[in-house]
Amino acid sequence: ILKNTEFLFMLSITHYKQYPPDISKVYSYFECRSRSEGQFNEVVFFGLQYLLKKYLAGPVVTEDKIQEAKIFYQLHFRQPVFDEEGWRKILEKHDGRLPICIKAIPEGKVIPRGNVLFTVENTDPDFYWLTNYVETMLVQVWYPITVATISREFKKILAKHLKATSGSLEGLDFKMHDFGYRGVSSQESAALGGAAHLVNFCSTDTVAGIQMVRRYYGCPMAGFSIPAAEHSTIISWGKNREKEAFESLLDQFPSGPVSVVSDSYDIFNACKRIWGDELKERVMERSADSTLVIRPDSGDVAETLLQVIKILEDCFGCSLNSMGYKLLPSYLRIIQGDGIDLGSVDEVLKKLRDKGWSAENVFFGCGSTLLQKMNRDTLNCVFKCSYVETNGRGMDVWKQPVTDPSKGSKRGRLSLRRNSNGFLETVERGAGKPEEDLLVTVFENGSILQEYTLEEIRKNAQLWQEDIIPCQHNQDHLQAEQQHIMNAVH
Amino acid sequence: MERGDQDFNILLATDSYKVTHYKQYPPNTSKVYSYFECREKKTEPSRDRKVKYDKTVFYGLQYILHKYLKGKVVTSEKIQEAKKVYLEHFQDDVFNESGWNYILQEYDGHLPIEVKAVPEGSVIPRGNVLFTVESTDPKCYWLTNWVETILVQIWYPITVATNSREQKKILAKYLKETSGSLDGLEYKLHDFGYRGVSSQETAGIGASAHLVNFKGTDTVAGIGVIKKCYGTKDPVPGFSVPAAEHSTITAWGKDHEKDAFKHIVTQFPSVPVSVVSDSYDIYNACEKIWGEDLRDLIESRSAKAPLLVRPDSGNPLDTVLKVLDILGKKFLPVENSLGFKVLPPYIRVIQGDGVDINTLQEIVEGMKTNRWSIENISFGSGGALLQKLTRDLLNCSFKCSYVVTNGLGVNVFKDPVADPNKRSKKGRLSLHKSQSGEYLTLEEGRGELEEYGVDLLHTVFHNGKIVKTYTFDEVRENAKLKDCEVQQLLN
Repeated sequence: ILKNTEFLFMLSITHYKQYPPDISKVYSYFECRSRSEGQFNEVVFFGLQYLLKKYLAGPVVTEDKIQEAKIFYQLHFRQPVFDEEGWRKILEKHDGRLPICIKAIPEGKVIPRGNVLFTVENTDPDFYWLTNYVETMLVQVWYPITVATISREFKKILAKHLKATSGSLEGLDFKMHDFGYRGVSSQESAALGGAAHLVNFCSTDTVAGIQMVRRYYGCPMAGFSIPAAEHSTIISWGKNREKEAFESLLDQFPSGPVSVVSDSYDIFNACKRIWGDELKERVMERSADSTLVIRPDSGDVAETLLQVIKILEDCFGCSLNSMGYKLLPSYLRIIQGDGIDLGSVDEVLKKLRDKGWSAENVFFGCGSTLLQKMNRDTLNCVFKCSYVETNGRGMDVWKQPVTDPSKGSKRGRLSLRRNSNGFLETVERGAGKPEEDLLVTVFENGSILQEYTLEEIRKNAQLWQEDIIPCQHNQDHLQAEQQHIMNAVH
Repeated sequence: MERGDQDFNILLATDSYKVTHYKQYPPNTSKVYSYFECREKKTEPSRDRKVKYDKTVFYGLQYILHKYLKGKVVTSEKIQEAKKVYLEHFQDDVFNESGWNYILQEYDGHLPIEVKAVPEGSVIPRGNVLFTVESTDPKCYWLTNWVETILVQIWYPITVATNSREQKKILAKYLKETSGSLDGLEYKLHDFGYRGVSSQETAGIGASAHLVNFKGTDTVAGIGVIKKCYGTKDPVPGFSVPAAEHSTITAWGKDHEKDAFKHIVTQFPSVPVSVVSDSYDIYNACEKIWGEDLRDLIESRSAKAPLLVRPDSGNPLDTVLKVLDILGKKFLPVENSLGFKVLPPYIRVIQGDGVDINTLQEIVEGMKTNRWSIENISFGSGGALLQKLTRDLLNCSFKCSYVVTNGLGVNVFKDPVADPNKRSKKGRLSLHKSQSGEYLTLEEGRGELEEYGVDLLHTVFHNGKIVKTYTFDEVRENAKLKDCEVQQLLN
């Protein structure tokens, strides 16, 4: 039974003619190459399981597909280059199942740049060409890796500020809401990106991601949301009836949190006059379980937020938490979902903190930056051949362009180990010890041999202690380290 | 036409909050009418954009209608599935089960909405209405904005097609200026983006959008999208040539690059063949291997089957110029009718690394300055062509502009005090062309008056049926570079 009837054979179809004669094995690997100046030093490995289950597992080659591809490629190249015999052999010898073996680090693991993340090799000498045939498809794992990594970076920033201003990490998992469904390039990307965000958070409006995680990662409900307004449900009341629109929302959703976008005409007026005066009593009736979450959606991110929180303080008052930071009353919070990226989130929380406000007051939503504003170069994701066998002899291979040393690739068979200092490192040239290898065989000859649930993945991707240490302590710690090193040199 | 995606559930293909919107419109609302545009950005930040993107190519709606919205998209199983999911997702019962049951019963699961749109492939200035959506049944007022999420994803094919076309303009200008003709323009920018997009589906959509303007692609998925949703008179809309990748070179071993090159060009003697040449040292490969060791082999190739030398690292402009110089010393160029150098017809260069709209401009300009004709080169682009784009590039936006409440039509809009760029249009909209050929969006129903002429928005979808389609040939025709446009580029 074929999972994806639209899956067409990818290009690389002429490569079977280009390898050296008598080649019997092509072994390749995937990494997020290091960069000297770098924003992201470590990556979250996620998404391979989806690709394997959806596109590579089971009998993916059929006679129909061979014929379809043959006709197609004849037209596409305007000549016969398609390896019909090669594909038919897969059908005959292996029942249409792909004779390749993939070893990978467990999903959710957080790995420093420049390390092997997975390897691919053919298991039958007749199909040396298959390893790099699947490159195009497998390299698309750059996307869920990158989303999961960026999402986790958001989590680090939020954790820092939350811990520093409230003393705890309560509610961290709901601080960053996925608003990106409409801003990604397709339904499938929405599902994959949405799922990747759910590795780190539980808060999303991208329903597709929830479904994806349910089907491919064994979690029936990985993310939650709340009733919320959009501009159309406010402006449809007419310009002079914004108050009626707001009030209706409070009526319709009396017993849980509700988010109300408040900038349709004038965010400051809406906060001061409508929420803060005309509907003030209605707002104060609500509880910590039925919070009103006010949503600005335009203007300078930090400035707007500061002005809004000041207006709300004036109208509703505030209290101090155990760390001495100001908290709006428990029935009132703010969500900022416009213009949010890693820089602006940090800036906003820093400015809030400078003005004495706890990070508990604010939630964030992010669209494009979370799910679309990234590419394969963000983490330099690449797939390269590192080892071949020809005439029975193994040979380490690599590229090393003189025009760009950073594009050099790893050599030979690879493994990933934890060294004696506890750091992860990639061992090249087949020198790794099998018992130390952290790469696990996940796919072999059409079968998936190892699966991970979202629960396991979330555990693997948890923040570490050093991500959570408050800012000042981090600085002191850093300085102490530097002193120590200098002293050691002396 | 094929059936839409069976696994897909439109009830689960919206932003979560929209599930709750049926409760939020004013009571007795019987119609919600919304529109889509690529907003103008009147106040641009001081860092001036090099490329203005004043016009956009409208493309991709037919894919969405065909794949996700047409036919019977609501079934009782899908309603039950959605009900269960939302109960867990909201930890509350907010789902509009009866609303969807109504659609199932009254319309056999077809969506009671009407979509009117500008013809696909049309090139329209920013700030104009491109399509409108309205509910056709008073009980389904909430449906219009339910489908916003899925329809707004049209930002992607629009943006790919637009950005691809802007690059076509750059190539057209320099090709014309350095060779006197536009021969081969359609093969000058090749899609290398398959691995660099976020999913298989995106690859298909994006690749098809690029093929609106060009004919060279390695992203095979695009061809399937075109065949299924648009159709062409030609058997396929996109072509490619045999090409090497690093593994097919490095697998021979570091000291056998020449053997690899020789083997590959020999495998493909009578079609163009592209050979990546920077595995170790691009300049050595060009000078010694192509230029000396294998020179005879290359010179024996016909003009129909050139060798395409592919650099893949280093600064794009510097590398291209240096490669041209080295090849020019070994394979003597001739001067064309405009005095620009052209390599012999059996050898060309393809630059497929680091190419985006800005570096493309730099390279062709640099080549012209150094008296190299653009006939010598073609380009490949991956991430920049298909992935490095967001909805903000063209400010693609879907907004409600008109509602009917208590039987009265009301023009509605947003106008946030802190951002005039975010103001939306009011009322019922139509698109017209003035006598001077300029596009004009009329608001507040003014277009319904006869004096403005015909509305360029056509009904494409009505109550679950696609009522007007465009073939890919029509799309290409609408999007082609006009002679006057090319003329303008040269001045």
